[in-house]
This record gives sequence, structure tokens and C-alpha cells, in this order.
Amino acid sequence: MSFGSTTIQGNLRPKLTKEELAFVKQELAEQLERYQKIVQEQEALTPQREKWVKEFLHRIQTRGYHVHAGIKRVIPKEEVRPRDGRPLQVIF
Amino acid sequence: MARPHIEPFVDRDVGFKKLNLPGFKKGVHYKMLSMDKETGACTMTVQYDAGFKQPPGFSYSEVEIFLQEGHLMIGDKRCEKGTYIFAPAGTSLPAMSTDEGCLALVFYNFGPPSFQESDADHDKADKSQKRTMVDSYFGMDWQVPTLFPQTAPGCLLKILHLDPKTFAMTFLYCMTPGFWQDNISYHDVAEEAYHIWGTSWMMQFGDLPTGGYFYRPAYINHGCFRSDLGILAIGRTDGDLHNYFHHDPFSTPEENHHRAAAKLARMKPALYQWILTNEHNHLPHDFEYPNDTYDTSGYDSGIHMHDDGSSHSHKSNGPHSHLNQKKKAKK
Repeated sequence: MSFGSTTIQGNLRPKLTKEELAFVKQELAEQLERYQKIVQEQEALTPQREKWVKEFLHRIQTRGYHVHAGIKRVIPKEEVRPRDGRPLQVIF
Repeated sequence: MARPHIEPFVDRDVGFKKLNLPGFKKGVHYKMLSMDKETGACTMTVQYDAGFKQPPGFSYSEVEIFLQEGHLMIGDKRCEKGTYIFAPAGTSLPAMSTDEGCLALVFYNFGPPSFQESDADHDKADKSQKRTMVDSYFGMDWQVPTLFPQTAPGCLLKILHLDPKTFAMTFLYCMTPGFWQDNISYHDVAEEAYHIWGTSWMMQFGDLPTGGYFYRPAYINHGCFRSDLGILAIGRTDGDLHNYFHHDPFSTPEENHHRAAAKLARMKPALYQWILTNEHNHLPHDFEYPNDTYDTSGYDSGIHMHDDGSSHSHKSNGPHSHLNQKKKAKK
């Protein structure tokens, strides 16, 4: 699925012009560079993120976890799924 | 996955580029936020220079415009910041101009940016929808979301556009100062958002400041959330937004996908079992939209994760049943 309405399907000019094709090609190449930079930046954030996760897991077992709107529930330790060596990947 | 996972990207960190596509007049500069690799559909920050003038015309794509700063004359109507415009593909907009310049977010939903000078609609223009223009800042009230489960108190919405068939929506949202939500969320739909003002924080991605943008495919964990001073943002989804909350920071998109299916089976067992009968042979049919087809043979779930952390796209071709398969025991 993609953004936009589904009452009609696609661009009214499905065959792109030469200029549009060149524009799309250039922008997609730059988008790939942006994506790779984001992946690097997010990997560099891993040590800090590990701390945030630790703090989050502590808070939900003490202050509570937002179940719905303002309703919170303190999560018992046995309900916290063990990490078991799983990676903390955030960009896909 | 038509657009890659872009999160976060701050457009204030990059310069504007001149838009040189045929049809566009001088004085249009842009920053690309994300682009669909199959269609060229895109989301851009656009700067219209002081003195910009454009005659009446249409785009070959459906277009959404949100005015962030400055004002824009559309015909004889002066549009202030906060104005949102929805233009179905091929419908002609009146002449546009700005004396002092303005800044907008522009969404081309079906293809790359296009403009054809014309004071009439394209002969195949989308007549099923109306062009709309709303003053979102002063003409609409903030609403408490009616989703279940719902975001924490202090997150409010203004719905700018809602697709009647898919419930895909474009919306303004805000977080009040001191907003805090201690859970992890994911959705069945892709989501994109742009911070008009303010900074929020997410446990996975850190701070998203003014000018911050993300495009996030379905089933990707985000949250917990916090905003010290509050934010104002515009967001979009490509389908009905349901909040799946949980507290496992290490779950994968594939696991989240499975969990969403389990939730569907629990909450709508009759529908779930009926769809699965005869290995997916019950393709949907809606008597309200009898001409619509739902060919899922090319469905791309976007992400298929393996235990080693690697991922790839997972396309379904034909019967693809996981029913009655024993799960592999995890070591």
C-alpha cells in the first residue's frame, strides 16, 4: 500500500517523461545515501539506547506501563521477556 | 517496501535545491524527505520564493499541501500558515502566488512532482473526491484520539483528510509539554511525520527536533515517547491506524507481524478463520465497492527477519499457509 486515496489507481501520466525519470533516479540515489547515513548514526547511538532501554524496563516495573490512555499497570518481573542475546536493531 | 525506513531525518541540516522539472515556474525550491522507489511519489519541504507566481493548472498526481510559514494566494483566497489543501489527481487549482514567500510541505501521492498549466481539469481527473481546503490552525479543534488502545493523555489530533475506504489519514498532532508515554508501539500501516515545531524523544531514535521527519514502514517498534516542551507535527498513514502496545524492546518486525495476526485471530475469530479456509482462497469482496479487486499475490510484507538479525523482503506468491506448522524450538 502507499499514501494517497484508493478511489483511483496511480498517476494520470503513468509513463514518466525523460526529465521526471532523471529526477527520480537522482533523488533515489540521494535517498539511499541518506538511508546509509541514518543507519550509521543510529548504530552509533546503540550504547545510549541500551541505557534508555534499561531505564524503560525499570520504569514499567516500578512506575507502570501505559496500557490505554492514562491507565497504567506495573509489570511484574516475570512478564518481562528475557533478552536472550537478541540484538537491539531499530532501522530496517 | 516502497520507501525505505527514513528515521530520523532533519531537513534543517540540508539546503534547498531548485526544482527544475518542466511545467514548474521559477522560484520553487525543495528538500526531498522521502520518495517511493516504484512510482516516484514523494514528500518534500518546498520553499516558494517571494514573488513566485504560477498560473492555474493541475498535477498528474494527487497532491496535498500544508502551509507552514508565510502566506499563499490561491485564486483570490489568501491562505495563511496552517492551511491544508487536498487536490485529487488532475483537478485544476487556481493561480497561486506569494509576495513575501512561503514554506510548505507538499505530498505527491501517485508520482513525482508534476504541473500542467490549464484552467480546466484533466479529462481523466479523479471526480470521486472533492478538492478541499481547510484552515487547520483556526478552523478546527483539537480532538482526543478515539483509538483503542489510545495514546497517553496529552497527545491530540486534528484529522485533515481521511480516505473513506482505507481510513488512511493525514492529521495534525500535538504533544502537550511534559507528555510521557511508557510503552512501545507499532502499527499495521506505514507512517510518516514532520515536526512543524518542537522536539520529542523516542527510545529507539533519540530526539526529533523542529524540521525532523520520519517515514516508518509497518511493524517497526517506536516508543516509549517523551516531549519536555511539547510539539506540533503533521502525520500521515497509508491505512487504518491501530496501536499495538507492548514492552519488549527487542521484538523484531517479523514477530510484531505475527503478534498482530494473533491479535486478529483472538479479537475477530470468525473473520480470521473464514479468510484462512482453503489456504487464502477467500479473497475479499465488498458489495459497496464491487469493482475493487484485492489481488494479494504480489503482497510484500516488507521485512522478514531471521534469528541472526538479517532481514529481507518476503513476497507471497500463491498458497502460503503457515497453519498447523510446528514452531521450531529456540535454542
